[in-house]
Amino acid sequence: MFAHTPLRLTTLCLLATLSLAYALFAGFFGLEILAEIAILAILVIALDLVAGFGGMVSLCHGALLGVGAYAFTVAANDAGLSAFPAMVLAVALSAGLAFVIGAVCARSIGIYFIMATLAFGQMAYSFVFQSPLFGGDDGLSGAPRPDLTAIGIDLTDSRAFAVYAIAMVALTYLVAAATLRSGLGRSLVGLHHNEKRLRALGLTVWRAKATAFAISGALAGLAGCLAAQHTQYISPGLLSWTVSGEALVVVILGGLGTLVGPIVGAVLFVVLKHEISSITPYWHAIVGLILIAVVMSRANGVFGFLEARMAARKPKPFLQKADADA
Amino acid sequence: MLETRNLTKSFGPIHVTKGVSLKLEKGERRVILGPNGAGKTTLFNQLVGELTPDSGSIHLDGADVTALRVADRARLGLSRSYQKNTLFDGLTIGENLGLAAAVALGKGQSLWSDPLKSAEVRETVKEVAAQVDLAPYLDATVSAVSYGLRRQLEVGIALATRPKVILMDEPTSGVGPEMSKGFHRLLKALPRDLTILIIEHDMDLAFDVADTITVLNYGEVVFDGLPGAARDSQLLKDIYLGAWEDA
Repeated sequence: MFAHTPLRLTTLCLLATLSLAYALFAGFFGLEILAEIAILAILVIALDLVAGFGGMVSLCHGALLGVGAYAFTVAANDAGLSAFPAMVLAVALSAGLAFVIGAVCARSIGIYFIMATLAFGQMAYSFVFQSPLFGGDDGLSGAPRPDLTAIGIDLTDSRAFAVYAIAMVALTYLVAAATLRSGLGRSLVGLHHNEKRLRALGLTVWRAKATAFAISGALAGLAGCLAAQHTQYISPGLLSWTVSGEALVVVILGGLGTLVGPIVGAVLFVVLKHEISSITPYWHAIVGLILIAVVMSRANGVFGFLEARMAARKPKPFLQKADADA
Repeated sequence: MLETRNLTKSFGPIHVTKGVSLKLEKGERRVILGPNGAGKTTLFNQLVGELTPDSGSIHLDGADVTALRVADRARLGLSRSYQKNTLFDGLTIGENLGLAAAVALGKGQSLWSDPLKSAEVRETVKEVAAQVDLAPYLDATVSAVSYGLRRQLEVGIALATRPKVILMDEPTSGVGPEMSKGFHRLLKALPRDLTILIIEHDMDLAFDVADTITVLNYGEVVFDGLPGAARDSQLLKDIYLGAWEDA
């Protein structure tokens, strides 16, 4: 079951402090990277919620992010909504779509679940790619950033936007953690361990899966809104399955089912991407090698490895008791 | 409390349940005996809804539940334990019991509170842990405890739903004689108003806890009566009890 261990809380405090400190002192390029990390962190927290804790490995989270980005841009530009109502609408739309996907895919598990989510994701990608309403291959530009000048914050400034993006990561984490500590979150973890037994205990499995997927989809939609606000240009590429695949890589790199690990993974991934790509254009290959090393080490990502090392230091009284019983 | 009427199920040409009619009164403890392949577990699977019967009906507390799904029957108070452990292996024993209690209390999809911290769930966990002798192990991860404790947890999870009727599929399967005796005590100490249907191969336990005994053979009820009559039945000795009588 999800719990805030001292290591997790320490890591969260460290990440928050370092990222805010960096936001205060970094230059333009550093702030852009920070915003990129924050947006990826939101997406991977959303993915870890269902994949790491619920065993629902999804290849449609890129599409959910993209739906959020497009819905936000269209609502703000074409429907004339201001940024925050447009964000609420976009998040709700992503959540609704995710609920439908979750409800349909709930009956499948493992590779079949992954393929079903991939199909949904590619359907969304094709629709956006072909539709003139969404600009087709050219995409859409001009997504606005929220207007916070009333409270003295100008989000057109990169520093303010980076801090705003970090605040959104914090909000996302709190929503995900609260979900995992709710009845639904407890059932989600139970479903990962033994779906058959939970059904026999009286849980309506499809509804639990679909609701968890909807919450995850809402968070992915939020990441989409931020992505649109960050670059102020969106293209169908945001909905591509490769975005989902990249998010999955980040979750595994950081530590599946830890919620904190994927944030660490997002930091590592974006920093590695920028650092290595400045040396060689084959940065994907280097990141691939690192991922293979992480998987082959049998550690649950970088953060999972740290957690395992910490756990190994603790005594295990019940193991001894169990041995005595056997 | 639980009734089946002419329940029939076939897998191709093989009849696994042939016109089984049972009637359990409230608080009755009935043991189902029968050789391997007699259709005992298949009958359980139909009772809880994991298998759909070809014909016949199942009634729980007077209501026809034949068309209901597994989760719906569970919510009406029908719970089961499995012959092969079906636990939440990565969780602690306390979390296993808590999750079962939370789902049964309708808190399994709540978004606003942690059911494992609710007084109702905690009380249920405490009571059930005491009933199945797991109170000292609540913080132990399932994968770290012995097989015998896992069998107790298997029954504990079913009890944590506070069922009206509990179906136990060979609760002592794979445990040693000492632990089996512990199960006798455990079963006899359960509330008397709880209706229990048990599949059991341990004859001592069967005759010790049973109010009534039903014997299945090739999917058919061949005996339905009191334990004393079961002991004296020549038919049962021929098809099932011979080895036990000789022992």
